[in-house]
Parts: sequence; structure tokens; C-alpha cells
Amino acid sequence: MKRFEFVEASSLAQAAKLAAQPNGAVRAGGIDLMDLQKEHLAEPDRVISIRRVPGAAEIREEGGALVIGPLVTLAQLASHPVALAKWKAVAVAAGEAASPQVRNQATVIGNLLQRPRCWYFRNELLQCARKGGPDCLSQEGENRYHAIFENKDCAIVHASNVSPAAMLFDGSVKTVKADGSRREIPLAKLFVKPEVDITKEHVLEAGEVVEALVLPAKAGGDHSSFLAAREKSAFDWPLFSLAVRLEMSGNVVKAAQIVFGAAAPTPLRREKAEAALVGKAIDEATARAAAALCFEDATPMTQNGYKVAMGTALTARAILAAV
Amino acid sequence: MASNSRKNVALDREDVLKLGFAGNVVEKRVTRKDDEVRPWDLETKFQYVGTRVPRFDGLAKATGRAKYTYDVNLPGMLYARFVRTTVAAGTVKEIDLSKALALPGVKAAEQVWDLKNPVRYAGQAVAVVCCETSEQCDDAVRAVKVQYERKPHVVTVEDAIKDDAPQVGNRKNATEPQIGRNAVDVEEIDAALKTAAATVDVTYRTQVQTHTALETHGTVAHFTKDATGAEKLYVWASTQGTFTVREGLCRALKLEANQVEVISEFVGGGFGAKFGADETAIWAARLSKKTGAPVKLMLTRKEEHLCTGNRPDSVQHVRAGCDKDGNLVAWHVRNWGTGGVVPNAGARNPMIYTPRGMKTRKEEFAVLTNCGPQAAMRAPAHPQGAFANEQVVDELAEKLGMDPIAFRLKNDSYKQRPAQYELGKKLIGWERRNPKGGDGPLAGTGARKRGLGVAAATWGVNGGADGTAVAIVISPDGTVEVRNGCQDIGTGTRTLLGLTAGEALGCPKEKIRVRLGHTTDPFGPASGGSVTGPTLSAAGVEAGHAAKLAFLRKLGPKLGVEASSLDVVAGKVTSKDGKSWSWDDACRQLGVESVEITHTRGENFDAGFQGTVGGVQLAEVEVDTETGFVRVIKVVAIQDAGTVINRLTFESQVLGGVIQGISYALYENRWMDRRSGFMLNPNIESYKIAGAADMPEIVTVAFDLANGLNSAGVSGLGEPTVIPTAPAIANAIANATGVRVRELPMTPDRVLAALAAAKGGAK
Amino acid sequence: MKSQDESKEPQPLSRRRFLQGVGIHSVGAVAMATTLPKVALAGEPSVDASALQDPAPNTLGPDAVEVTLQVNGEARKLQVEPRVTLLDALRERLDLTAAKKVCDRGTCGACTVLVDGELRYSCMTLAVECVGSKIETVEGLAPAGQASAVSEAFAQCDALQCGFCTPGFVMTITHHLRNEKSPTLESAKRACQGNLCRCGTYNRVFEAAVLAATKGAGLPSGGGTGAGAGAGLKGGN
Repeated sequence: MKRFEFVEASSLAQAAKLAAQPNGAVRAGGIDLMDLQKEHLAEPDRVISIRRVPGAAEIREEGGALVIGPLVTLAQLASHPVALAKWKAVAVAAGEAASPQVRNQATVIGNLLQRPRCWYFRNELLQCARKGGPDCLSQEGENRYHAIFENKDCAIVHASNVSPAAMLFDGSVKTVKADGSRREIPLAKLFVKPEVDITKEHVLEAGEVVEALVLPAKAGGDHSSFLAAREKSAFDWPLFSLAVRLEMSGNVVKAAQIVFGAAAPTPLRREKAEAALVGKAIDEATARAAAALCFEDATPMTQNGYKVAMGTALTARAILAAV
Repeated sequence: MASNSRKNVALDREDVLKLGFAGNVVEKRVTRKDDEVRPWDLETKFQYVGTRVPRFDGLAKATGRAKYTYDVNLPGMLYARFVRTTVAAGTVKEIDLSKALALPGVKAAEQVWDLKNPVRYAGQAVAVVCCETSEQCDDAVRAVKVQYERKPHVVTVEDAIKDDAPQVGNRKNATEPQIGRNAVDVEEIDAALKTAAATVDVTYRTQVQTHTALETHGTVAHFTKDATGAEKLYVWASTQGTFTVREGLCRALKLEANQVEVISEFVGGGFGAKFGADETAIWAARLSKKTGAPVKLMLTRKEEHLCTGNRPDSVQHVRAGCDKDGNLVAWHVRNWGTGGVVPNAGARNPMIYTPRGMKTRKEEFAVLTNCGPQAAMRAPAHPQGAFANEQVVDELAEKLGMDPIAFRLKNDSYKQRPAQYELGKKLIGWERRNPKGGDGPLAGTGARKRGLGVAAATWGVNGGADGTAVAIVISPDGTVEVRNGCQDIGTGTRTLLGLTAGEALGCPKEKIRVRLGHTTDPFGPASGGSVTGPTLSAAGVEAGHAAKLAFLRKLGPKLGVEASSLDVVAGKVTSKDGKSWSWDDACRQLGVESVEITHTRGENFDAGFQGTVGGVQLAEVEVDTETGFVRVIKVVAIQDAGTVINRLTFESQVLGGVIQGISYALYENRWMDRRSGFMLNPNIESYKIAGAADMPEIVTVAFDLANGLNSAGVSGLGEPTVIPTAPAIANAIANATGVRVRELPMTPDRVLAALAAAKGGAK
Repeated sequence: MKSQDESKEPQPLSRRRFLQGVGIHSVGAVAMATTLPKVALAGEPSVDASALQDPAPNTLGPDAVEVTLQVNGEARKLQVEPRVTLLDALRERLDLTAAKKVCDRGTCGACTVLVDGELRYSCMTLAVECVGSKIETVEGLAPAGQASAVSEAFAQCDALQCGFCTPGFVMTITHHLRNEKSPTLESAKRACQGNLCRCGTYNRVFEAAVLAATKGAGLPSGGGTGAGAGAGLKGGN
């Protein structure tokens, strides 16, 4: 790890201002940042810690919405009774991420914003497209863990467990910029597809600090599920993950949301399948039919075709589990 | 039995030993000198051998007090780290250390690489830096500038055997085939297969596995002077061979054996990759000499994956056949594997079913690639071979409609196996096994299907004398110190030595203290080939017996009793006329004198009950046929290894073999990038090792056996337990699904591919 | 699982406490004790904080600074660059070597310690972040020369082989038993998801957790009778 100056900001606005200066990085839980630093993929001269910012570690309900501060850990969210009751898929997703030790330190916001785990990206010596190189090294390389959608330019899979679940609830992030201005960005617009900008995973500007993840309340929000499939039973990056939320009217679906996580470079809404579920009662057949629709546009690579079969089965299961 | 080197040679005695196991006991006559210990057999009455004894250093480890090499901190100690090649093939044009040397805290930077040498893989040491703090090493390593000229590389067996492949070494990448012993020619195999009632012609593949000992390779060296001013090198090494490290350092630094003391009291795992004075030992010593300060040189996790060894992969093409009764008639294997830059791929395909009349031919090809060198890894070559062979016999049994255990017994001469299978069948509930793969009440009708599988292993190493000696000191305070210079890599060697010596001496267990891991103590073996247990336990028994005689000789006059009428029984000194003294009281009679002996181990006996060890493992798995995930539900592992000295650590060894076997079966894989020649997962995040959540129920059974092979009757245990797990799981997958997965690790993609192929009729 | 969310949030380090020497000091910065910094500490790279209304940020490093860590109930002073991890601070500065460096990337758990009662990977934590926090390592679980009930149970059950992962597992199980009054093999298995063992001791670690909870502090010390080890635990391993 390269030497750095450690600055403890006293407010998020201050952190934003400091982070906007050249070669600064904000550290909350700091797991991903430190991983990047140890691999020399990030070499900030100044690390701005927000851990002493008052109130940043709070989860609160505000006007029916769940407001998650930037120091709230995955463990805090996973065991939060209100989150478990009304935003279940999000709490479950947080509780399934990584390991107990990581969940005690890693923040929910950090989970949303972490950089991809692609092993070409994570190798300092390899210049992949995301790091300004000429091409995506996974295309003809070892791509068994890579994306099966939107993977032509860069085949990373979105790394966050939390984001697909949070998108079910039309979540958004509130941010503060270096100039002190604030904005709110829906999660649906937070993540950047490779075709738009291959070097970034999200739209945040230099120094822009997330103040909160906001999850609005949803009617029937408890009809949600999160599923992740890993090679190892725990503490392994998902091969595939998704979140499903249904709004039920009796036993008929009024509205549905299906968001894939570890399947494409960004969280992926599956609108066609969602529409197909509306007006139907959920049973094995409707779940499987909708699941199949989700993969019509899959473009598996040389080694990851298995994710289509696996994903189809898991999607059907997640739909059934959400009822 | 070879006599020991004592002068007062006594009369020969003859003993009739009872050997074997319950239900199969044989008698064997052995002769020995009068003052030598009666070899342990089924009739030996033990005080604590065979019970469950918490290992002597368990608390030191569980309280964090145990100091491993990585934990040694000396005053003024410097930290060192290597700079490694970042191309897979080519040459080093220039190494510039100047920028590194100019950094604060950098005490030395040395060129390790000879510019004349070709670079053969990414991860070879080119330079080493030495700094005041470990963080400064990070900076210094990055400040060393190395210029390379790249050349084409090749990192997979498939690529390396192509005609136009870049040449890794000085000759063709693939060796000429090494033909196994007693091989017949291909025509004879073909003829035998023509007559066979059932045949298979299949290809099995296994992956490269890295040892991933949790303590990386490393050394702390302190080059200093002793009290007389002579040069002295103290070395703390994470090693499986304290004496091999000493020998290597003496050669590299031109020192005498007495000038080098290697210390290795605790070792954070080895699994076959930690022998000899490696580059950490040599460079830590050189840097210590240069800087005048102690130097710690531990490899990083990434280096550990790249350059310290691995289990080679394999592509095994097997043609085999049997007659209608299940007798194997032909076995033909062509086996390719890569040991990276080392022309030894362990592609031997060890085979435990060798019935009379079977025609055999093995052709082994070692293929060079631009990858890190292989090293012996827990049962070298066996897990690869067993993964193929144990499935091939299942495939043949399936074709005959025979029970796979019945089929194996037809072709297996191992004496304990029938009893081991009977026990195993009971413990796993073998009667529940699906009569046909994928079809039965256990498989069920849902997406998740269960099945049972079995596999066996035989291992044949029993250690030997090889100069091993044990020192014992009985002090007036009653403590008994047992010393040997070898190491305990986590197998329980320390406890094994203490228990064997203490049992033969007769002292209370609580009085035993064991010191291992100092080369100033008597010579002991390097821990490879599962020899440490049999070598040291016999040495312990003999030394304990010698110590008892010496103790009683000294005690007799003090107690006013003829020494020959004294004995030590169950922690008490007794005389023939019925008197007895507590151990402590007896020892107090020594006054200020200690009883101190050093005893050299005798040779093994010619032939005991069985010269090999063996075991069976049975597995129950659940396969999610829609997603391809395999969950191991239960494993039953039955293992013999002669006398069970400590049931608790014996079981731990078996447990460890099974767990590593599960990890090999389902998770681990070294992924190489063909384009860059780099290992893509030199970490323990994407190099996946089985975790707590992956654990099934595991039932381990120590199968008691007296083998009469040495004074303790102990055989090797560490390695055989890792062999049968993966094929037992694979056979269980086949029983659950009706589909064979012929490639390790058996990850969801491969399970799904096998299922899809079967569905498509392309099985 | 946790009821002490309050304790998780670090106490803001007030200027006063900082200056009293509880917190972090810039090495040799004479200005420290006399100047309430408007911008940054003397001798430190400047930070443009003049426009901020919030209290000025604490700035440390990149050179070594003196910090005081509360480790196992003792205040320990040490010099660290901000980049020094808690693990390296413990091992290389304080000679507390029970926590091990294995992966150095937060994936194996050998470096597990408790920070304010929570399990943490010390390899992914900065030492300077831990000022004001309560740090517990295996060395602090029992007085010198003694063993905690959990350590005793590990030894009794032979829940260790090479032992390099063991201190991390002991911390994880210690934490598990503090928060779970009736642990089972299954609950221990879940608790250990963040710890890796290479020798293959997991199942015995689960047993040790149950044994430690059953026997508590009444466990005999090592080298015991053996016969009773693991008694009451069904199912072999």
C-alpha cells in the first residue's frame, strides 16, 4: 500500500470538498478501498475518513422511507427489525454478503459503490478496457464468472448484493458534492453501463459523497425475495443473483419487479418478464415461463453458458419465494 | 530387528507377536536383545496409548502463545521481500535497484537473478529488498525497475503439446512417454478388451491445486557471533525439514553444521511444499549477514501461490475392461500432466486394483508449461489417479449391474478392506443407495437428488530408522523431557512422540514435556511421505524403554533394591516383592542427578501383518440438477495406520484429509490466463478453499490394527486420507443423477454440462 | 445479533481529548499542543478547509504518528504511518502475534480480532482508525499463562492442527458465545463463515463451541484425561 495522509472529516460536506482535491479517496468501511490500495489499483495520497461524522451510522425511518447513512454497515442493516419487516429482500441481501467480519465493517453504501471483482480488472499488471486498455481481456480469456448480458465491451458483473434488492423499492442515493450542492439520484440512474463509460461503474462525480440510501416504502413490500448462487456455500462472490418483488392482489400479481445482480455489468431490470407476470396467479408454470423470458436476450460467453440454465432455475425459484 | 549400538549385548529373546485386527489375527515370531523393548502388538497393555489425548501444544496454539516463524520478532529486525518476474517467458534485460536503495528505511537491495537465465514463468525472484518496516518493503519492491524482453509462453497442457507451441525448456515440452512397470504392449491390451464383458474408454481431468499452507514460506535469520566470537547463524524456518534446511544453508553459506541452528517449533502447515533451504532461507541469511541485523523474509500470499509448488493437473485417458464376474482384465492409461517448469507431473496414475492376470499399460507424459513448479503435495499423484480409477471401476460395475463395493472386493487384495467396507456400509446406510444412477427412492423425483458413492485408497510408506534418535531426560522433579530435532507441521507429532516415549517409560502422562524443532537436538526425519509418525513413534518407544532401564539402574541402589526386580507400571515404580513408589517419590531419590539417554531408532522389521495402510470413504451428496450445485451431506471415513497412538489426533488427521478432499473435489482450481501467462487467482478469494459452511457431517473411524512393522507398530497416516474423497463424491453424484462428472473440480457448470449432455443423448 | 449499535459508532474525537493525548499525535509536531489548528497541523500537507464551517479535520501522516490503542485493556502507545493496518500494528509494533497474516485481503479470518466487541478483519482495518476503540485479541482473553474456556475447549476437542488459523477461530467462537447463549453445531458453523482453515478442523471447531458453552469456565486444563474429551457430543466429527 502506498503511503497516504489520513484525514478525519467532521462532516460529509467537508469530506466531499477534501475528496475533490487531486488524488483523494473517501473511506467509510474501507474494505474495497483498501483491497484496491493493496493491489495498487488505487493509490490515493489522501484518504478521507468519514467515520467520525456525527449521525452517519444511523438507520432511520423518515416519512415511511428507510434512510440508511453512509456508515451503516451491512450487519446493521441485515439485523434491523424494520428493514427485515418492510424491506426484506434488502436486509437479506445485506446479510448474505461476504462474511460476518466484512459485514461488521463494510457499509451498505460501499457495497453499492464497490468496484468490480473481475480478475482481469483486479490484476495491476493487466490493462483491460476498464482501466484504459484496448480491449476486454475476458472476451477470449477465462470468463466463467463473467456477465451473460450486455457483455460485449466489458464483461464485469455488478458486484453489489444490495443494489438489485434496493432497486425493487425504487431506492435512491442522496449525495453532497464538493461545492456543497446536493442531489438525489435514483438507483436506476446511478449505475453506468460500459457502452456509456467503460471506466466508471456509477455517475458520481469526483468528491461526491453519498449521504444516504433512501428506500421508499412500498405497498406489499414484504413480497420480496433475494437469491444468490455461489460455488461455495458462503463467503463467495455470486455466480448469479437476483431480487424479485411482487405486489399482490389476492393471489394475483398486480405489479412485479425483477432485478438481476451478478449477471450484467449493472443491475438489470427484466421488464418483459415483469409484464408477463401481471394479472397472473403465481405457480410453478407462470414462474418458469417468466424466468425463461428473462434470458431471451442473454449473450453467454465462451465459458459461462451454464449461467443461463442456472439463472433460469433460480429466477423461477425467486419468483415463487417472493409470493 | 537391528540391534542398537549399546555395548552390553544381552541374550536374544523370541517373542510371539499377535498381529492384525479383530477377526483376522496372526502370530509372528520376532527376536530381540534382552534389553530391547517388546514390539507393541494386540496384547500390549497400554496406559494411555489408544486413548484420546488433547495434543500437548493445543493450548499454546489456542491461546495464541505458540510462536511460528512468522511471529518471531527480534530486536532491530529488518523485513525483506522479493521482486518477481512479471512476464511468463523471456529474458531480464536490466534490474535497476538504485531508486529502491534511495528510499528511506531501505537497508539493502540485492539482485537475485542471473541475467543469463531465461525467464520461465511469472513469479520468479529477480531481486530482494530489505527495510526497517514491512510497509517500506512495499515501496522498495515497487521502486525496483526491471526491464524484460518478452517471449511467447504457454500455460496449459493442451497448448503446450501442440507442434508449434513455444518451447518452455531446452527440449520438447512433452516428455517421451514413461511406461509403467510390467506394461504389456497396446495389442495385448486391445486383445484383452475384446474378450471383456464390459469396457470403458473415457477421459478424466483434474486441476492444478496449490498447497496454500496458511503460514507462507518464510524465514527469520540472524547471522551473529557466538560467545567465542565464531560466526553463528540462527534460523527460524517454516519448514517440513529442519535438518534439510540446515544442510542447505551450510552449503549455500559455506558454514559448518555446528554454526547453523534451525528452529521450527510451530509450523503453519506444509502439505509437501516446505522442504529444504528455499530462497527465503538463503536470502534471509545473506541479508542478515550483509546488514548485521536479524531479517524476516516471509512470502506474500500471492508469491505463495505462484512459486512454492502445486499439485499437477492431469488428463487421463483410460481404457479398461472386466469379465462378466467383475474381474478386471485390462487397464490402459495415457496420462498427461504439467508440473509447470518442472519435468515431473506426477501423472503416474497409481492403481490399487491389480488382480492377477490383468493386462496393464501406463504411459505417462510430463508436459512443461510456463507455470510455477510443482511440489510434492499430500499423497503426490494419488488423488489425481484415484479420481479416474475409482470412477472407472464404478463405471464397469454399473455396466455389469454389480454393486461397486462387491466389484472392488473382487479386485482388491488388501486384507482389511472387507471389514472396512462392512463398517462403512453400516455407517452411511448403503442399503439406501439408488439401485440405478439417478433412479431410486434416495434420488427422489424433485430437482434435488441424493446419491451414495464409495472409493478406497492404499498407501505404502512406513518410515524407517534413517539415523533418527530421541533424547530423554528424567529430572529429580519427576518431569520427563523428550527431545527430537524434527518439526510438527500440525499432524500431532509432538504429542505422538511424547505418548510413545512416555508409554514405554511408564511415567504419568502429565510429566511428559516434548521439545521438537531444534537442530541442536537429535536428528529426526523431514515430514514427507507420511514417514514422521512411523519413524518417530518407534523411536519414542525404544527410547522410552531405554530411559526406563537407565532410570531403574540408577534408582535400584538408591532404593536398596536390585534394579532388575524394579519396573515402572502405570506411573508407579514397583518391585517384584510388591513394594511401590509414586513416580515423584522415586524421581526425588535421584537427588540432583538427572537420567539422560539418547537412543537411536532401530530398523523396521522385515514384514509385519501388512506393509501398507488403507481406508475406505463413503459419501452422500445432494445435487441440484437445475442449478448444478453439489452439497456433500455426509462422509464416512475409515482408515487404518497401525497402532492408534492418539485416537483424537488420528481422527483429526482423517478429518483433515476428508475436508481437503472435499475442497479438491468441489472448489479449488488454479486459473491461468493463456494470453498473459498470469495466474488469475493468486489469493484465497477466487482460489476457493472449502469453508465452514461447506462442511458435511463427517464420521471418522480409526481402524485399530497391529502391524508389527516397527516397535510401535505405527504406519503413515497423513497422506492416504486425502485420496478417496473426491472420487467417492463423484461416484455419489453419478448415483444421484445418473450422470458422470469427469473433471475436477465438480463445479455447477460442469455438473450442468454433464446433465445437458446426457439429456441430449450424447452421454 | 447485536444490540450495541450505539457502540459501533465511534465517539467523535473532541479537540480537547485529542490534545490531552488520548488520541492521535503527529510525531514531533511541536505545534500540536499549542495551536488549535484552523487548517491543519503544522508540518502537515495543507488542506483547504478554510471555507468549511465544520470543525477542521484531523490530518495525520503520511509520516508515522504516535497513537494510543486500547488493546486487551491496556493503553499501548505506538508509532504508525496511517497506512499501517491494525494487524501489522499488533504484530510488528506491539509483538502481539496471535492474530495471523494469511491472506492480507479480508478473506481468511486468521487476523480476526474484536473491535468494540465486534468481529473484524484486522488486516483491512487501519490502526489509526482504532484510536478510542476497545481492541481484544486472543492474548487478552485470559490472564497470562491461563486459557479462556473457549481456548480450553479448542484444545480438548483438538479443534486445531497446524494452529495458524486457530486464534482467528477462537475470537470468532468467543464472540459467538458472548452473543448466543445456547450455541449449536449449526449456529457455530454459521458463525465461522468468515474463517478459513486449511488443515480441516472445522467440524471440531463447531464441537469446541458447544463444549465451551456447556462446560464454561469449568473446563480442565490441557493434558487432561482424554477419556472424557468431547463427551456428550454425538455424531463423531
